[in-house]
Amino acid sequence: MTDSPARIPGERAAMIWGVLATILVVAATIGVFLVAPEDADQGVIQRIFYFHVAIAITSLVAFAVSCVAGILYLRTRNDRWDDVGEASIRIGLLMSVLVVITGSIWAKASWGTWWVWSDPRLVTYLIVVLIYAAYFVLRSSAEDDRKMRYSAIYAIAGFASVPLSFYSVRVAESFVHPVVFTGSGANMPDSMLIWFVVSQAAMLALFIALLELDLVGRRSERALRRLALRLENA
Amino acid sequence: MRRRQLTALVRKDLRLELRTRETIVAMVLFAIVMLAILQFGFGTRDDDLTRFTGGLMWVTLAFTAVLGVGRSYVAEREQRVLDGLLVSPVPRVVLLGAKAIAIFLYMTAVEIIVIPLVGIFFVKGPYWDSMGWIAIAALLANLCIALSGTLFSGLALFTRARDLILPVLFLPALVPVVIAGAGATHAVVGGAHDMSEWRGYCLFLAAYAILFALVSIATYDAVFDD
Repeated sequence: MTDSPARIPGERAAMIWGVLATILVVAATIGVFLVAPEDADQGVIQRIFYFHVAIAITSLVAFAVSCVAGILYLRTRNDRWDDVGEASIRIGLLMSVLVVITGSIWAKASWGTWWVWSDPRLVTYLIVVLIYAAYFVLRSSAEDDRKMRYSAIYAIAGFASVPLSFYSVRVAESFVHPVVFTGSGANMPDSMLIWFVVSQAAMLALFIALLELDLVGRRSERALRRLALRLENA
Repeated sequence: MRRRQLTALVRKDLRLELRTRETIVAMVLFAIVMLAILQFGFGTRDDDLTRFTGGLMWVTLAFTAVLGVGRSYVAEREQRVLDGLLVSPVPRVVLLGAKAIAIFLYMTAVEIIVIPLVGIFFVKGPYWDSMGWIAIAALLANLCIALSGTLFSGLALFTRARDLILPVLFLPALVPVVIAGAGATHAVVGGAHDMSEWRGYCLFLAAYAILFALVSIATYDAVFDD
């Protein structure tokens, strides 16, 4: 046998992003809990904002990536894009669930109740979770080529539904949600903004690291399967 | 050419429905049962539900839509009509258009019965004067239901548990339509006359329909790619 234990493509990138994400998450945690000033109005619970909003934005990035991957899959029919799409939605869905949970905790602290139907963004995220959870139901009940095709189409249609959900819920309800980012800029002092930026960078790096890791996992699984097949035939 | 194909396909669906009367009758009965269930689920027999008219109407219509959309490809699948259609030189987008028109007409037929019934059952106060406004919102919502429903039922068609898959895929996408349909109805029912709110919801429904039309046109070739 001359085969050397070859590296799986992307392994190095996954490692680099993993290290970067770890450093940023640690930095963000320290910054958010120990350095950032306490909100005069809401007190300690306001610190959940740094993660809540950063995770929310990152989950939308993940869904956007899955939509682009879906388009690319339909154009090229390359399995790679199906992998990217599924991995992105898996991470995005996980993050959306976290958004709903952290939002619910924040609601309990601010408004005294775990769930407020009058808060448009929390409700939107619930719908987003439902939309993307259905993706996996669809995936599990179709086969091979159809599975990838349908997943790609659904990823595109799902992403189209996201702004619709946002908008529809917002037309329907009066605002109670704290609005942090307005058209005229961020509604917070620089000492808070900086830690928000770090936290956002940490979440984005975490997303990329998880995505890379997921893809490396899939590639090594395929390599293993090929090896097993070769061994069987030998 | 395309128009002839489209009318032929729509006429096929309508003729089938007129002969069997399977889908629309079932949808209407289902909607009436839903309305009764909602009344008993929400309150006792004396409670005034005027305030919830929009919600009751659109929850009922959303579930009825799932039922109708789920039936929309049954004939094609069971009698293998779809195989014939797919090998015929009909562009996929014409298939999509024809199915969407059929669903739109089914929903409209159901609403002609259900929307007046909602008024009779639930509304204490002015209702019939606002019928025109409700009808416009309903037609827009039907467009949304027809376009997204055609896409999702196409996706669910060849999956294993298709009857289960369709509601799971379709209902979350229908939430905005229910919100907007209920909102538009609420704005004009029971003495309310908030036209700016009604207009906002109708514009939203139009935007939803346009977005889903674009997504469907862009992806429908891939739905039936085998």
